[in-house]
Amino acid sequence: MKWEVFRQEKKKDYHTHVGNVHAPNAEMAKQYAQIMHARRKPANSLWVVPKEDIEEVHADEQGIEMGGTTQKAYRWATNYNTDETFAEEIEDSQREQEQAEKDLAEADK
Amino acid sequence: MDLQTATERAGPREFGPADDMPREYREAATRMIQFHANSEIMGAYIERPFIRQAPSLDRKLAVSAQVQDEIGHGQLLYRAAEELGIKTREEMLDELAAGEGKFLNCFHYPLDDWYELPMIMFFVDGAAMRRQATLKRTSWEPYAHAIDKICFEEGFHIKHGEDILRTIATGSRKDQERLQEAFDKWWPRILQFFGPTDDQSTHGDFSMEVGLKTMSNDDLRNAFLNAYVPKARKYGLELPEYPRIEYHEADDYYEVYEEDLDWDEFFTVAKNELPTGAGQIDKRKRSQEAVEWVREVIESPQQGGGNPAAADD
Repeated sequence: MKWEVFRQEKKKDYHTHVGNVHAPNAEMAKQYAQIMHARRKPANSLWVVPKEDIEEVHADEQGIEMGGTTQKAYRWATNYNTDETFAEEIEDSQREQEQAEKDLAEADK
Repeated sequence: MDLQTATERAGPREFGPADDMPREYREAATRMIQFHANSEIMGAYIERPFIRQAPSLDRKLAVSAQVQDEIGHGQLLYRAAEELGIKTREEMLDELAAGEGKFLNCFHYPLDDWYELPMIMFFVDGAAMRRQATLKRTSWEPYAHAIDKICFEEGFHIKHGEDILRTIATGSRKDQERLQEAFDKWWPRILQFFGPTDDQSTHGDFSMEVGLKTMSNDDLRNAFLNAYVPKARKYGLELPEYPRIEYHEADDYYEVYEEDLDWDEFFTVAKNELPTGAGQIDKRKRSQEAVEWVREVIESPQQGGGNPAAADD
């Protein structure tokens, strides 16, 4: 049986997918995950999830649109040229959105 | 974990579902997050009529995107709250429908026209964003996690709100007059957004001690006025003579004359007893009932077994 492994590096980080292990049960899966994914690399917590329990929706599927493939400039802070620097939290939000747009452009290449 | 340990350990994103939190903490966090979630939902309903009333297609698309975002924020927050084990998501939604769920004072007043929209979309959302940004450091990790996504999206809402404000403020003299009227009407409610000064809030101190809140209402109000009063002036809006607010330059502090504000109304609002607020709750109830059949279909055991192909034909 295959288990997908998610590792949280430090307390308060998000769990990130790092790979999978073969194991007959959850107990063994946790042990293997520790050996495979938390022996060398720092880890605070591991999740193991039966692979068959993971449902997926993929961008290539027919009729599926994800990740802003349509033009939706109106939903981005960057679309409005008012000054965002008057409030730190709005500036932060705008920087995050700019980064997300950049990532999106990268992914398209 | 006992209360003393919780107070000692309290820090940004310190506690999560794996921690055995004392009941007082879980109740205070539930109260706070449920209030926030309810406010997102009721805020969405305030803005919703403007999808139809928007003066251009661009505005229509942007307002509908915002309404969709706010409903999403509500859902994220109910999940952060239900992890505390006090109330389920369904219970919180039922309380909101029954008029028992509490939400922000400003969302108890419907918007009469497009000129009033930036009062919510710029000033009220701006005040909310000020508060939310401080909650990235709240001690309940699932709440902070939800706040990350909320703050990511909220920058667009406020910039769009300011864009609408600017368009009206640079329009005809008539536009400017109507904008000022909207501001006069909304400004006292906006000043009350953070509650009474001197923070008589009964829950405030405890929430600060256990790290749920990281900034007092007084400090938040001041930080809000510091950023937004200059903005109001920039767009030619005049602060009404009453309620009086006075800027003390030496301490960089805004004094709000509390006696100029209607606190009877504020506390009526807080009890969900203001007629316009009750009206907002009823409006939402009617919308919910109108789409009840959709929820029924989705949750019915036959779902998928119906005949979806027929719909495509």
